[in-house]
Amino acid sequence: MERTAFLQNLANQLQRPLNTTEKPVNDWAFKPIEKHYSVMNEQQLVEALEQQCKNIHTDVVKTTSENLAKTLHEVVAKYGEGPVSIWDDPRFIQHGCQTLLDETWPAEKRTIHKWDAEQSRDRNFANANEAKVGVAFSEYCLTESGTVVLYSAKGAGKAVGLLPYAFVAVVPKSTILPRMTQAAEAIQKRVDAGEILPHAIDFVSGPSNSADIEMKLVVGVHGPVEATYIILEDC
Amino acid sequence: MKVSLFATCLVDLFQTDVGKATVELLETLGCEVTFPRGQVCCGQPAYNSGYTKDAKEPMKKMIDTFIDEEWVVTPSGSCATMFQEYPHIFKDDPIYAEKAQRLADKTYELTDFIVNVLNVTDVGASYHHRVTYHPSCHMTRLLGVKDAPLTLLKNVKGLELVDLPNSYNCCGFGGTFSVKMGNISEQMVDEKVNCAVETDAEYLIASDGGCIMNIDGRMQRRGETMRTKHIVEILTQHEGV
Amino acid sequence: MSIQFYDKKFKDTVKENLEDDFMRGAVSAAQNRLHNGRLKAVEELGDWEQWRNHGQEIRQNVLKHLDYYLNELATNVEKAGGHVFFAKDGDEANTYIRQVARDKGAKRVVKSKSMVTEEISLNEALEKEGCQVLETDLGEYILQLEGDKPSHIVAPSLHKNKDQIKEVFVDQLAYPSEASSEAGPLARHVRTILRDEFLQADLGITGCNFGVADSGSICLVTNEGNAGLVTTIPKTHIAVMGMERLVPSMKELEVLVNMLTRSAVGQKMPSYVNIITGPKRAEEVDGPEEFHLVILDNGRSNILGGDFQEVLQCIRCGACVNTCPVYRHIGGHSYNSIYSGPIGAVLTPLLAGYDDYKELPYASSLCGACTDACPVKIPLHELLRKHREVIVEKEGKAPIAESAMMKMFEIGASSSPLYRFGTKIATKAVKPFTKNNKITKGPGPIKAWTDVRDFPAPKEERLRDWFDQREKGEKNNGKNGIFTKFSEPTAKTT
Repeated sequence: MERTAFLQNLANQLQRPLNTTEKPVNDWAFKPIEKHYSVMNEQQLVEALEQQCKNIHTDVVKTTSENLAKTLHEVVAKYGEGPVSIWDDPRFIQHGCQTLLDETWPAEKRTIHKWDAEQSRDRNFANANEAKVGVAFSEYCLTESGTVVLYSAKGAGKAVGLLPYAFVAVVPKSTILPRMTQAAEAIQKRVDAGEILPHAIDFVSGPSNSADIEMKLVVGVHGPVEATYIILEDC
Repeated sequence: MKVSLFATCLVDLFQTDVGKATVELLETLGCEVTFPRGQVCCGQPAYNSGYTKDAKEPMKKMIDTFIDEEWVVTPSGSCATMFQEYPHIFKDDPIYAEKAQRLADKTYELTDFIVNVLNVTDVGASYHHRVTYHPSCHMTRLLGVKDAPLTLLKNVKGLELVDLPNSYNCCGFGGTFSVKMGNISEQMVDEKVNCAVETDAEYLIASDGGCIMNIDGRMQRRGETMRTKHIVEILTQHEGV
Repeated sequence: MSIQFYDKKFKDTVKENLEDDFMRGAVSAAQNRLHNGRLKAVEELGDWEQWRNHGQEIRQNVLKHLDYYLNELATNVEKAGGHVFFAKDGDEANTYIRQVARDKGAKRVVKSKSMVTEEISLNEALEKEGCQVLETDLGEYILQLEGDKPSHIVAPSLHKNKDQIKEVFVDQLAYPSEASSEAGPLARHVRTILRDEFLQADLGITGCNFGVADSGSICLVTNEGNAGLVTTIPKTHIAVMGMERLVPSMKELEVLVNMLTRSAVGQKMPSYVNIITGPKRAEEVDGPEEFHLVILDNGRSNILGGDFQEVLQCIRCGACVNTCPVYRHIGGHSYNSIYSGPIGAVLTPLLAGYDDYKELPYASSLCGACTDACPVKIPLHELLRKHREVIVEKEGKAPIAESAMMKMFEIGASSSPLYRFGTKIATKAVKPFTKNNKITKGPGPIKAWTDVRDFPAPKEERLRDWFDQREKGEKNNGKNGIFTKFSEPTAKTT
């Protein structure tokens, strides 16, 4: 059906002329007060995040920029043998992971699949699918729900966070926010500035799960079975 | 304080003791109680069955009967809710819109009236029995009266009040629902009775005649020893130990 | 599948389901858990009433300006490189989607859970196109294997137990018969099987929890990760959206996503909230090369601007279903509609007509639990009552006996003398049936009551008669006596 005719029908039902030009005023009468998390300092936010991650079957490890490579090495080792699928993201190099990627892991015969925009999508999917661990960099992290926010980009394949057995997200401490409200505000700013958003903004809270069989929680369904967040001291 | 009793059909015909106890309680608390004889049914059975036009006549009759009273008090959360619905039902009526609102503003469910108008939380009753309380749906959800009955019960000397499991579930009365969807209603009231029996209380207390008639009727049919009582029948007890 | 499951009468589906002990046990256990989970999750938000009021005003604002927001959404989706199709009904939507599948040469279709695509029987339409269509939500996948129907809008296979599920897996999915029938191993088996299907799929289909008008995004809310895979791997993604399911901006999206998941399952956030804006960008590797948004009316516009408009505020959380005492006993299949519970009883007759669904509005005690649970304050029980009013007063579909009784009620109850007379007569009329102050086998309208419970005998002396006597006594005594003088009748304790 043609768009205008579709919309005109709605206007008719609403018993008023069609409006596609005048933006409605959203002057909300109710502004729910979020009693939680809004008054926490950075340290309290991290503690609350750690607490919430226990509820969502996600491990939390804290590290510094100098130690990220070491910590990442340990976290990946925890999940056993198998390839690593990792975003092609300059932040890994900035925080000292070059040697880990180019030398340490190869020396251990661990295959590294860096997300590769030069390769075909099928090649990238096959790599991520055979990986034991997928490693990504979080844009924001939400304390209340234990959520990392991932933006899709050229080097940041969505499949890295979905296909491997375990999901590891590096969370810069400076990006930890109380809750989704603040992340939504940040995203809204980009919209208000006329930007087109990244193709995918994914809010991920721990490993995948389901309660479809007898309402019993199963952790690890189509997406990752396990998850770890590495909180990176960056400020 | 002049209080006009809106008795409700069930109390007028079947649960007269509840009506008498209501008068007793209010008078003990210093109210002068009258019973306007023009009162009929509040129209809820017809209204809830979709017969809005048919329900409006008795509703108007009720408005005219009670409109000049000082306070209108009823021992039923559900029927009090119905009076609160009147302004919505008559919102386009040039005469009754204003009257309906005026009536709604002065109508109270009994326990709500005692706690929030008379500001009494202890009516001086004593009753040495184990009981459980069923919060009726219309009273708690639609009328918004949740705490008043419990406040009053907690101050009854000797009363052991135990929680009713899944108390928020409807007992399955629902007016014509109880006969129109008899087999579903049966399952609902059975679960309610099961939960009540589980508490090992002597009485299940409620603040609505409909729920009481339904739950008690099912208890009797099943041969349960537990019985029901209207809350006012507890609040007027002065039992020694 | 369309809205309707089968050609059966409501009373028959209810009877069948009341006999299904497993289903009833599963539903009541789930309800108890979800009830407590929801209360805890909403309490954490602080002033929940304030949140509900806000949720309601957002949804009402969207409906009021639906033409503007839909146009804005469509314009922004296109700006981000997506295609938008406005579909008047299921046929138009299916025809468009089949055409896309044909153009793309798509043969393998993976779907994440979507009620709206069930509403329009999309799977059947694509199968006619020669496509293999796989549901990937665990619950939906289980139902698809058996050709079974969803019984809950959030947990579609709630009515099945793990042993039944294992049996199906052994028969159809080479699940070893000696393996465990626990949920974990069963789910993991599906993970393995569907992983290959995801990797080979060429068309991904999703519903849409919310469209975001000013960014041109759609938002999907899941726990299993399947929506992520459906919108990442196939080269084409088609999202089907009920036309009312949108919000003005990210800010309102945030509010409603929070309310949705807390109300649905008591979660602060689900594992995955995917916000998708257009197809993948040229330099990106994964994500769909083509993105289509199908905006579906299918009867919704008839609801707009009328007495039932508030039902369109629904965000499909299922809180009303999870709290409904009627659903608790009869389960989802009794409703004979993909939309069950209170929301189904309100929505189904509006979308599919009263002819097949005139009983649904009566499948409620009007207890208001649904209204109370609804995060966006849809007055569900009031809309159910409204349906009854339409059935009685506009459609003329009420049973004759009931209409006659209500007419008598009107005449009898609207005049005090007649009321006095009528109630007196009634007392006498039931006397022959009374034994030990109760009626166990009632006549006429009381029969249905006494089939289940005893009916109390009306009192010889009505309250109004007692008042007459009492006032006479007062006059004779010349006193304005207080109650204690007249309290003998209640002095008895049982």
